[in-house]
Amino acid sequence: MTAVTLLGGIDQVVLEVAQALVPLLIFFAVFQALYLKLPRVYVVNLAKGILVASLGMVLFLQGVNVAFLPAGREIGEAVAAFDQRWLLIPFGFILGFLATYAEPAVRVLGYQVEESSSGYIGESLILYTLSFAVAVSVSLGMARLVYGIPLLYFIMPGYLLVVILLVLTDKEFVGIAFDSGGVATGPMAVTFLLSLAVGVAAGIEGRNPVIDGFGLIALIALAPILSVLMLGILYRRTRGEDT
Amino acid sequence: MQDIREAVFEVFRAVLPIILVIIIIKAALLRVPPSDLLLFLLGSGMVVLGIALFLSGVKAGLLPVGEAIGSELPARGSLMLVVAGSFFFGFLTIVAEPNLRVLADMLDAVSGPGVPSDPLIFVIAVSVGFIVTVGVLRIIFGFPLAYLFAAGYGAILLLAPFTSPELLAVAVDAGGITTGLLTIPIILALGAGVSAVLAGRSALTDGFGLIGLASIAPILGVMLLGVLYP
Repeated sequence: MTAVTLLGGIDQVVLEVAQALVPLLIFFAVFQALYLKLPRVYVVNLAKGILVASLGMVLFLQGVNVAFLPAGREIGEAVAAFDQRWLLIPFGFILGFLATYAEPAVRVLGYQVEESSSGYIGESLILYTLSFAVAVSVSLGMARLVYGIPLLYFIMPGYLLVVILLVLTDKEFVGIAFDSGGVATGPMAVTFLLSLAVGVAAGIEGRNPVIDGFGLIALIALAPILSVLMLGILYRRTRGEDT
Repeated sequence: MQDIREAVFEVFRAVLPIILVIIIIKAALLRVPPSDLLLFLLGSGMVVLGIALFLSGVKAGLLPVGEAIGSELPARGSLMLVVAGSFFFGFLTIVAEPNLRVLADMLDAVSGPGVPSDPLIFVIAVSVGFIVTVGVLRIIFGFPLAYLFAAGYGAILLLAPFTSPELLAVAVDAGGITTGLLTIPIILALGAGVSAVLAGRSALTDGFGLIGLASIAPILGVMLLGVLYP
């Protein structure tokens, strides 16, 4: 019984991963044949790595679909039924933090940043900054659902602040900041946190679960940009004091 | 094998907190039956193993592939190759992204099944291809990244008042949705590869930013769609 539920729909997941992978493989194959001409052994090793990554992706996505997606919805509906709905705000904070802490794409970015900066900006600094930022944005998203605040009131000041912080921050942090926004909205956030928000919206009267659930991803993408830009300002100041 | 075991342990530590919190909520608050808890535990096991395999595979396969392509693009000294290569790279990663289906469903929910999603996906893919090309050219010619982002977000701020609130929500969400799990390591590595072979480029200042650029394109794309087809 459980095995059926556990693997239900996995063929769809395999198809999705293959669909994402194949065009890139063809692109690489063309490049390899025309320009790169990497040694055969090396290419075989790369292929093994890609195979392992795809297998991991299938397992991960399937696990998220059967375990985390329904859990998010259940929890959202249950908590929305509480008398004290403001509790959703700290709740969103905790779940937002933990979901990002578990997000694999965030770890890839952290690893790449640590490599590129030769350890100057550590992987765990990126990890905690992003987790905290997403925690704040999920609690804001919950507040928005509970009190029915229009998304525009968050998005406009947020994007305006982005443009202002851009001027003030250390330029080494600009690229990382904006990449963080795309990275934080990985599969963990998009499935678990979005289904949490949809569950909450379904549990509150007068909210449309589909329409009011939207906008959360945008908030999750915005907060890491702002927080890494601020991190850049801090780095700039400490460095200014040193020299 | 040792590596995989280490990776599983590391991922386990990352995912354990959220698994524990969800189990506590499920057991104490929702009082779900044990079979439901078992299903969640098994699913979580798949997640842990999946992330571990994914991350080791990314380091061994996807990152090197992206870096190899990225460092080859400018090395030939042909601007045509850079432009065509970066464009197809960006275009393909988006056309293939499974998350785009989620976006099409969202649009249907807002506008009814009236707006066809195929042209939308094509528009988004072309704009991402275009913007990745701009991003790669920026690394090569050393144009400051901050200007590009200021212009992009400035344009979003200008268009926002002309977009209906529902479509605005979909548009800003689209930015996060299009950068999926598979495209992130490859695009990250592309930037690192391009900046690594050019003299005087810092991997830190110049290597990053392509994912951020790729997330702006869909926002503007969906907003423009709303302005053109009210």
